[in-house]
Amino acid sequence: MSMLLSELQRDALQELMNISMGQAANALARLIDAKITLSIPKIVVVDASEFQQMFLTDQYWFTRQSFLGSVKGEALTLLARAGTETIGGLMDYALPLDDRSKEELLLELANILAGACLNGFSTQLALHTKLSMPTMFNAELRQADSFRWSSTLLLEVEFQLEGTAFDSRIVICLEQLSIDVLINKLNTLLEE
Amino acid sequence: MAIPVTIADDSLLSRKTVRKALPPEWDIELTEACNGKEALAAVAAGKAEVLFLDLTMPELDGFGVLRQLHEHHAKTVVIVISADIQPEARKLVESLGAFRFLHKPLQPDQLRQTLADLGLL
Repeated sequence: MSMLLSELQRDALQELMNISMGQAANALARLIDAKITLSIPKIVVVDASEFQQMFLTDQYWFTRQSFLGSVKGEALTLLARAGTETIGGLMDYALPLDDRSKEELLLELANILAGACLNGFSTQLALHTKLSMPTMFNAELRQADSFRWSSTLLLEVEFQLEGTAFDSRIVICLEQLSIDVLINKLNTLLEE
Repeated sequence: MAIPVTIADDSLLSRKTVRKALPPEWDIELTEACNGKEALAAVAAGKAEVLFLDLTMPELDGFGVLRQLHEHHAKTVVIVISADIQPEARKLVESLGAFRFLHKPLQPDQLRQTLADLGLL
């Protein structure tokens, strides 16, 4: 990691992620009238096997959506299985959730959180990105193999819904070419 | 006479953003703090008649700083500049006596307006 980003670049990227997740949390908090706790963003480089390990859990549902534009990549959203009913209730879904409404809820949540996060991030860096609609991703079917990431920069933020078991993580994966674009933009920002 | 002003934020980029947004004609003596403890030390040393305060910081966060200032009836004018922009955060910050709650990314116009509103310019 130290090879890839300087301390200054890392600081800047972390702060941009902070602001983006603040906007994402605010979007969700206003919708469900609850308080969301934010973590400090994590910025790591992982190889393919480390990446796959993310899916070795039955605690989360996964969604994925790709984005295109001046940077390309994929946004993965992890949504805690334990809190699904609670947040469904807060979002006025009929409980208990059936499979169809559960999927609808998860995709809606992913879109709100990942959308606001990526949007905040792109706007601050004057990047143009367009996010596709999310789809469910079934890690148990070993679809993880379908990810083309060999070595990738992960930007991870974590949301915790206060007083519940619900938490969510957004992982933004960037390809090498996009990492170069990102570093250039960070440098511009730092030199201003 | 120059007004002692402190910017408290753990992010270098954020401190720079605030620094650059300060009106050039504003006569101040600037101090920078990287965490809540340093922010309180700056207040104690008389270096923060005005304090620009981030909420998410190591050691002691912005809420902790506000609580301490509040308990000690400090005269510091606190302007919170936060990435956490949820209504709950704003409410808490206001209940702890902060004068203003500004959102990141900070807009220079908004900062100038805030300073003017507070009679600091």
